Amino acid sequence: MSPILAAYEAIVGSSVVTHLRRLGEKLSGLRVVHVNSTREGGGVAEILEWMAPLMRNVGVDASWEVIQGNTRFFEITKAIHNGLQGKAVDLPKKDWRIYQDVNEENVQRLRPLLEEADIVFIHDPQPAHLLKLCPNRKGKWVWRAHIDISRPFRPVWKVLRTIVDKFDASIFSMAEFAQPLPHPQFLVPPSIDPLSEKNRELDPAELESVRSEFGIDPERPLLVQISRFDRFKDPIGVIQACRLVRKVIPVQLVLAGGGAADDPEGKAVLEDVMEAAEGAPDIHVILLPSGAHKTINALQRAADIVLQKSTREGFGLTVTEGLWKGKPVIGGDVGGIRLQVTNYHTGFLVNTPEGAAHRIRYLLHHRERMKEIGEIGREFVRENFLLSRHLRDYLALMLALRSGRGERILFV
Amino acid sequence: MTPFEVKDCALLIRMSGLPPAMNLRELRDRIASCGENVLYHHFCETTLRPTFDDPDYRNDFAVWSKLYLGDRVLAERLGILDPYSMGGTEELRAATLEIIDDRLGELTMVPWVRPGDEFLFKEATTVVFDTGERIHAPKELAPAIRRMTNGSVYYHFLEALRRPPVGKDDFSSWILEEGEKYSPYLVSLGSIDIQFHSLDHLRKELVRALMQSGGET
Repeated sequence: MSPILAAYEAIVGSSVVTHLRRLGEKLSGLRVVHVNSTREGGGVAEILEWMAPLMRNVGVDASWEVIQGNTRFFEITKAIHNGLQGKAVDLPKKDWRIYQDVNEENVQRLRPLLEEADIVFIHDPQPAHLLKLCPNRKGKWVWRAHIDISRPFRPVWKVLRTIVDKFDASIFSMAEFAQPLPHPQFLVPPSIDPLSEKNRELDPAELESVRSEFGIDPERPLLVQISRFDRFKDPIGVIQACRLVRKVIPVQLVLAGGGAADDPEGKAVLEDVMEAAEGAPDIHVILLPSGAHKTINALQRAADIVLQKSTREGFGLTVTEGLWKGKPVIGGDVGGIRLQVTNYHTGFLVNTPEGAAHRIRYLLHHRERMKEIGEIGREFVRENFLLSRHLRDYLALMLALRSGRGERILFV
Repeated sequence: MTPFEVKDCALLIRMSGLPPAMNLRELRDRIASCGENVLYHHFCETTLRPTFDDPDYRNDFAVWSKLYLGDRVLAERLGILDPYSMGGTEELRAATLEIIDDRLGELTMVPWVRPGDEFLFKEATTVVFDTGERIHAPKELAPAIRRMTNGSVYYHFLEALRRPPVGKDDFSSWILEEGEKYSPYLVSLGSIDIQFHSLDHLRKELVRALMQSGGET
């Protein structure tokens, strides 16, 4: 079901919603197209799932298109993704050719829509080559990079840069993720949808049902890390941290995540994680089907502490989700986690399994502190990281792009 | 009395294009040459930026000096700078450079940061729009402010200080249309120390101050 803006009034306030409508009126009828590479799985699809309908809800003529590709294409784009996040990957010219070919196949279907649009948002590298294939484009094209490309594997970035530097503008989640490009680089942190299945309030029976399903003991502390099975999320490090804590506190751990349609590497990582968890009945490794949003929601709400011990990370929406549910978060000292987690304020930043174990023990021994941290985190999310702020940023960006002016104050 | 037009704003932040600063000397040189919008952003627009932190200082240079350069002396000196009390951005720039130059003169080595902790220079466009809401009398200000978004509070109370009449927030300017009739409101608004509030706290402080002066609850 498409989200409706009015439904958010109870959470963000009526002024916020009214003002979004006012901004939307200024863009009434503007044709906007979002393009990415998967309809489900991963943070980008989750954002687009609400963003396109809510843009339409405020008067923008927005649509969401997904490019289709075969397994080889997604293996290549996963390698590009990893390369942009700094991993040394081998991407010969023939792989880049396949990348271009798949974009060419897709443009046959998308070209009329894209060339007529007033603004096109291309999300991540997978569909970026579409720009070159739409020479008669009328509108502004914006490349939305959702990942941290601050320290890319240079051979990958050198090729991709020649593709994305033709865009009219780009958007990064944080200044720390950006690369110098010859066009304006805007900064828009992502957000979560408080009314989605993954974030809405759940009643106790729903929590209990999920605990029973996975054999979680409600009497003992629970640590939860929700993320794709990806080496950059360091699931093995989380298991090591859990084993260190279990020497003194009988904690349970849930490592749960789905496979995204554009992530073929996940299976191998999952096998390694299963092996690392072998012989520990209180470590639950759960491969969730796509769309298991309510299960994720329940696991995060059932947790005492939410973990996100990544070694590289984009913004880290699972951190935002954990904070929204009033949980302290122990996260890797990287990427967007650094923006969201402040020591003793919203959780703790750690660099090693030992560090994570230390902070888990600290929190479990300071329950009052845990509660305070949880309350602070929830209010920060309400103020800054819900979809209302995100939508407002995009509306402001579109107004600025349409005006074509870069002055400090823009009256619309 | 002309009705008060409530505006709201969204901050659209972008990279300035300046190279990052890896050490205090580079920070000094970039501050010396950056555009006014860059300086303004790092001193004045920080409260409107999405954040999970409630830092000790409201300007980014002081926060960076404390957290990443590890120079608490410099952070304290920069942190007390009040951009709204300066005659303009150039005066603010000169004051900032003076503090950094003094500090560089005191130190035996230039403090630096590890890769990943560089100071990144940004600037922003404030997109301002009319909310359609109107306030008809000063006594209605407190309840109206209570309902305002952070963007409205920022635009009318902080950003206004840089617009003519410089140094005067929009609420005070509006109340002054009636001369001295509502002077208690003006005294209350003038008593708020804007340096130490997040926008959420500032909203509460404005409501509290106006109610004490006779505004509606």
